[in-house]
Amino acid sequence: MKPVALVVLAALAFPSAASAHATLQRTGPSFRERVQVAPRTVWLRFDQAVKPLPNSIVVYTSRGRIVSAPAHRGKDAYRVAAGLRSLAADAYTVRWHVISGDGHVVSGVYTFGVRTAAPPPTEAYGASGPTRAEHVVRWLYFVALALLVGGLGFRVLVLRAPLPPRADRRFYLVTGIGAVATLQVGIVAFLLRAEDALQLPFGRFLYGDLSPIAGGTRFGEAFIAMTLGFALVTALLFLSWLTDRTAFLWPAFLLGLGFASGLSLSGHSAADAGSSWKSELADWVHLSAACIWIGGLVQLALVVLPLAPAVRRTAFLRFSTVATVLIALLLAAGTYLSILRLPHLHDLWTTGYGHVLLVKLGLVALALAWGGLHRLIAVPAVARGGDGLFARLPRSVLGESLAGMAVLLAAAVLVDSRPPPRPVSPPPSASQPSR
Amino acid sequence: MQPSAEHVHWLFATGFLILGLCLLGEAIVGSEVWRRRWWRAHLWPGILFLMGLLMWPVMTFYTNSTVHMLAHGSWAEVLTLAGGVELALVRGKLSSPWWRLTMALAFLVSGSGLLIHEQNGWLFQRSSFLHHLMGWTLVVGAVVPVARCIRPRSVAVGSTFALTVVVIAVYLYCDRDLAPVFGHLSPLAGVQHR
Repeated sequence: MKPVALVVLAALAFPSAASAHATLQRTGPSFRERVQVAPRTVWLRFDQAVKPLPNSIVVYTSRGRIVSAPAHRGKDAYRVAAGLRSLAADAYTVRWHVISGDGHVVSGVYTFGVRTAAPPPTEAYGASGPTRAEHVVRWLYFVALALLVGGLGFRVLVLRAPLPPRADRRFYLVTGIGAVATLQVGIVAFLLRAEDALQLPFGRFLYGDLSPIAGGTRFGEAFIAMTLGFALVTALLFLSWLTDRTAFLWPAFLLGLGFASGLSLSGHSAADAGSSWKSELADWVHLSAACIWIGGLVQLALVVLPLAPAVRRTAFLRFSTVATVLIALLLAAGTYLSILRLPHLHDLWTTGYGHVLLVKLGLVALALAWGGLHRLIAVPAVARGGDGLFARLPRSVLGESLAGMAVLLAAAVLVDSRPPPRPVSPPPSASQPSR
Repeated sequence: MQPSAEHVHWLFATGFLILGLCLLGEAIVGSEVWRRRWWRAHLWPGILFLMGLLMWPVMTFYTNSTVHMLAHGSWAEVLTLAGGVELALVRGKLSSPWWRLTMALAFLVSGSGLLIHEQNGWLFQRSSFLHHLMGWTLVVGAVVPVARCIRPRSVAVGSTFALTVVVIAVYLYCDRDLAPVFGHLSPLAGVQHR
């Protein structure tokens, strides 16, 4: 027993130099650095001694040609380096693997540019995607966002009156599912994107360095901000349920809307040619309006119509008014973004992006027709005091919300697709007289 | 500019220490006395919930490997869940004592996370040893919250539960290199790595 106790005490008492597997601390050139003079070597510095392999550092040009020599130990045991051929102006991808002090192979990828801007690691040479799984995950993210932000929006904009206990519980259940799913699906989406960039088998992906993707790409920064933001929103939603104070729902709603902008600030509307603050704003308005509309329909169908008879008339009529404004915003922002991304009408049927947009427009038309029927038939009947309609209305409203979720699926594929390149305006001709 | 891993470990170790001492206080004086003041009733569940929330930034900012990110994420989720359930029990939003089993779930998930993310043997290095020790303490210790569901008034069960949390705090204090703050305690420690 004594030797065991001694080992335990020694292990607890003595500081150890190596505390986990190796972590990349510095590189030369650094992540996404644009250098004017072509470097002669690439070096990596870790926080502990590592063992290099011959293929520890492989540097690719943007066309996939290898320009690095076999890797070797650097100045000390913490560094690995590889010589480079004479590099032309281009973007370069560095893929690295070293054996950590604990015996694990740690891996990573980053980019740098010689007299040119380096792409984010998600667009490094060899990166793939987005895959079908990523389309589904993005769609689930949109649905979760609609349940959360739409549910909160419904409660603060449409239904301020207290709900019966059963309806109240279901409101928190549906919105809570949205909150938890937003966090979980966000993590899965980030890992899938990282896997596309790292291109590692699962066992090695577990030890892949995700920091260039988390800190060096718009997507990664949006992931960090949105995860933290929605964790806070979830906490506020929980506090509202815990204390029976709906006052917590206002900051939760506003924060949820604010952090949803992470998608707009990291997607096509922010990164593609021609993007500006107007395209980012339009994208955010488009997404927010869709979330509040679809999430509101779900609340109406699952919470208010079946479980809150005292407030269902008011809620239905008020939501109908709010939904009209939301649809107007949705269509205005969507039309602006479509014109921005598809400069020519024929792009709709000649490009893949246009095909997906056509499918989306078809589904939008279906959802709008469904909503129009509610507006033209159900709203006047409910306003006249016809209670008989409430028996069939939940199913019909749920149908409209499902049509809206189908629109979100098309939107998920659209977000992962690349819009056609914008036409480049020709430079002014030399023979043209200057004015 | 991120705080070093040592400081983050110590921050959570302090959280667990306060948590364990509160639980010990409740076990010794009894829940009726402990909960006479409303703030005291909310104290340790609130700390647990807050620790869960604080674990989310750890997950998002320490992404030097996938396995670490996933482990921190799972701890963030179970700490938030367990803290939230305990708060709901105190407030009367949940009434069944079986909800306390979420604490057992938190122990099991946290222990499994520690064991899965540490793939070296016990004696490979100090952090490996401590990860195994913490992992098995939590996995085996998951029976204590189960016993707490069955015998909620037992002083022995309550004290064991509290001391398990205190022991986890001590392990967490020891888990990282002491060198950057206290200086090298021994020449065996080697070169400072941060």
